[in-house]
Amino acid sequence: MQARFRDRLQQEWDQRREKNSRFSLRAFAALLGADHSTLSQVLRSRRRVPASRLRSWARKLGLGPEETAAYIAAEHLPDPVTASRESQLRHWTAEAAAILTERAHWEIFRLCQTPEFRADSRWIAERTGSTVDAINIALTRLLRLRLLETSAGGAWIPTAGRPVATEREFRALALARVREKAATFNVQLPRELRRP
Amino acid sequence: MAHPVLQFQIISKDPDQTARFYAGLFDWKINADNPMGYRRIDTGSQEGIQGGIWPAPPQAPAFVQLFVGVSDVKAAVEKAEQLGARLLIPPTTLPEGDEMAVLHDPQGMSFALWKRP
Repeated sequence: MQARFRDRLQQEWDQRREKNSRFSLRAFAALLGADHSTLSQVLRSRRRVPASRLRSWARKLGLGPEETAAYIAAEHLPDPVTASRESQLRHWTAEAAAILTERAHWEIFRLCQTPEFRADSRWIAERTGSTVDAINIALTRLLRLRLLETSAGGAWIPTAGRPVATEREFRALALARVREKAATFNVQLPRELRRP
Repeated sequence: MAHPVLQFQIISKDPDQTARFYAGLFDWKINADNPMGYRRIDTGSQEGIQGGIWPAPPQAPAFVQLFVGVSDVKAAVEKAEQLGARLLIPPTTLPEGDEMAVLHDPQGMSFALWKRP
């Protein structure tokens, strides 16, 4: 079974064209009892299947009530492109929010520039009053955002490219990195998350 | 060099709960006494591979990563990218000397390249 009714229509259209190359879109529309222009737009993914027509078109294609019900339910879900975009937006918004709300990022960034620093999540957690898991989540994020890198000797090195002396400066830098990363997925963050 | 799968890693939003569950279910021994506080899993068997548990941020789903052994992490990353992978965490040296990088394969599945110390 196709995941979406539009894909099922396409499958039916392709099969009928394969059997009879002269089978026209108008003939297909007539078979469905559909408006030719509407059907054309649906097949070109220019518009969704009209909710009011889905059941009728499904009946004309000989689909059973269970399959039709599954297609009706699927129409309430976002299409794959929209779902992917929403998922990316959620991910990058959460990344930005974490940078703004979880101080562990700044604490790691700050501590690894001090002479007493130890590349040890347990030591950092103890120094910052945080948990080892919270430190490791923040560390992973800093590595992902290329705000931190490690040397061959295991030292942790900030990659700001310029001195970052305050938490505010760090947040601005980190949010800029989140924006850059999000942009590579064609995601633009909400305006409120663009500055610390 | 062959590229065996050396380790599995469970990414969990609640690592303590995950550790308790699998320790209770399979009698796995879980030890976090190391600089990263990394929960290493000892399955207690010579068969199969050993594993670990790493914390996930709240918005992430729980999933399992495979760690594949390589002799040169940077070179393996370059090859993976040429084949369509997307780099998530660049080559990184861990406190105990392991080197690793994390990527998404072309289908979006996360995996790690790993060189033991």
